[in-house]
Amino acid sequence: MLETNTILGTAPATLGTVFTNGYEFAQGSGYALPEYPFVEPPELATGKVKRHPVVIVGGGITGLTLACALAHYGVKAVLLDEDNTVGVKGASSRGICYAQKTLEIFKRLSIYGRIAAKGVQWSVGRTFAGADEVYAFDLRQQQTHSLSRQPPFINIQQFYVEGFLVEQLYQPAPEERLVDLRWSHRVTGFEQNGDFATLQLETPAGAYTLQADHVIDCTGSRSPFRAWCGATVTAQKGDDRWCIADVRFKNPPPVERHTWIEAPFNEGRAVWQHLMADGVWRIDYQMPPHANPEEVSREEVVRARLKAQFRSQAGQELDDADYEIVWVGPYAYRSECLDSLRHGRVFFAGDAAHVMSPFGARGGNSGVQDADNLAWKLAAVLQGHAAPALLDSYHHERHEAAKHNVLVTNRTARFLRPADGAERLFRTAALSLAREHLFARQLVNTGRMSTPNHYTRSGVCGPAGGRATQNVGFAWADGSPGELLDLLAWAHGRLLLLVFGDVSGAGLARLAALSKEAGIRCVQVLGTDDRATAVEYVVDREGHLQATCHVFGHAWALLRPDGHVAATGESVDASAVHAVAGALGAHISPDTREPT
Amino acid sequence: MKPDTPLITRLHFQDADAFYECLLDAHQGLSREESELLNARLILLMANQLGDTAVLKACVAAARKT
Repeated sequence: MLETNTILGTAPATLGTVFTNGYEFAQGSGYALPEYPFVEPPELATGKVKRHPVVIVGGGITGLTLACALAHYGVKAVLLDEDNTVGVKGASSRGICYAQKTLEIFKRLSIYGRIAAKGVQWSVGRTFAGADEVYAFDLRQQQTHSLSRQPPFINIQQFYVEGFLVEQLYQPAPEERLVDLRWSHRVTGFEQNGDFATLQLETPAGAYTLQADHVIDCTGSRSPFRAWCGATVTAQKGDDRWCIADVRFKNPPPVERHTWIEAPFNEGRAVWQHLMADGVWRIDYQMPPHANPEEVSREEVVRARLKAQFRSQAGQELDDADYEIVWVGPYAYRSECLDSLRHGRVFFAGDAAHVMSPFGARGGNSGVQDADNLAWKLAAVLQGHAAPALLDSYHHERHEAAKHNVLVTNRTARFLRPADGAERLFRTAALSLAREHLFARQLVNTGRMSTPNHYTRSGVCGPAGGRATQNVGFAWADGSPGELLDLLAWAHGRLLLLVFGDVSGAGLARLAALSKEAGIRCVQVLGTDDRATAVEYVVDREGHLQATCHVFGHAWALLRPDGHVAATGESVDASAVHAVAGALGAHISPDTREPT
Repeated sequence: MKPDTPLITRLHFQDADAFYECLLDAHQGLSREESELLNARLILLMANQLGDTAVLKACVAAARKT
């Protein structure tokens, strides 16, 4: 659940902060990270300035997800990364928890299997205050509400996810690769006009210039593009300080998530403890306000903290041989949200667009969803299926999501670091009630897990649209099992119209016209008593498809490639035709667009 | 108070005097800190009885005015 911010950015303007999220004081034996080859770009030899339709800057989880998603839709892109590896140099591990919606996206991008095999899942969580357990839960007993084929979350080090994405991009033969991965490329300058952007680049082989129709800034929280574009930021600085220790034990704790709101072994402050891949535990300690990052991450200080918390197999004080410190990194919590996620030709995604406290794993998970949201829209516009105005809906939808995530994480931060006086009093009251009464557990806010956002103010979603679907199961016409992601894969970047129940002759004619003229994919979804009349149909005996589309009885639901519902309606009439045009940006008026 | 407020301001107690006495009795013999904690616990317990977001917000706003 804890994760920290990327430092892939290169903004010289924001360097010099005393306590950054940049892990200058990182300690530990580190992780072995892969290194990727720098290839001299053709521009250096020819001296020609080339124009690219899409340039992604930053090869973190957001930029790589975007690259993979664009490749999935058949769109070419250039990805620039300032170093030659995944993760942050200094062997950090950053994010550790990937939520269901993210896992569904990774399933679409064909890396889910590797994540599930490498990562770990836990189901028992315990929350402590002082020496007492306040409450415990077992997610295996709470999962009936989830119909997705993916679990609620998987814990895995972020660099594994990034590495899987890179390998996915390298998988096709060189001449068939759609994404040009340019490692060891540092962006040193930027300008844009109404038609294109120009990037100045520095590489080990020299400097050069390239042009881009669309630039996607995925450079992280120190993005230089913010200043280059004059982007304004709504920010909140906290004084909460934490220090991570990633540790491997000879005598590992139980595979459960433990959170202490007031840990007796950490001077009454909070501690998080959970497992990642390779038997590495992330222990995250809340530090005193304004703690010195260099001091709290010193090896002896970290060892003293671990010895206060853990015992050896024999129940003795931990010996240095009983555990290995893989990585240590201090960091500060803050929240920032760009006021506009689009500035002319530049789109901001991931930490470049928004920074939040790590509670609920909302940083990495929202970066992946930013990328997924933008990818299908870029593909639709570049392939001529949608108007360029569709791209403005990226800001409408993901800015609402970012603001919501900042709100939710700030509430958790306030519970975990209450101001003296009434805030602390109410936390004490809530904790004491939670020990006795079920209702009060809801007040104990140790983080709210990232969930897909509902787009309520989108210019491309109908009044009943905007919600995410889950990857539910159904049966194909031949009776074999299928899942919603199969249908989305079949639609391959086009809109998917699901029509539930019987379809009239006029409705069938309308579906045929929509498929032909708007290039959308139409599928009839049969309940137990319905008759197959459409060309393509599936069977939804349990009603899971219908439930996840939030419709009842005879209805249609228009799904987007990102799995969100664009619109719903009752009969296949002019309303469906209108919804298809709307979902592709036909109703976004030019005066609501961002100035360039 | 605006007419569309969800706040109940007419008499709603079954027995106002008895509740008031019960509340004072509960605080008897408590230190200032203990009383404050009792009140905080009581607010959270009562808030859960109400549940309704609009009513709770109206209660907080009305209490802030005094």
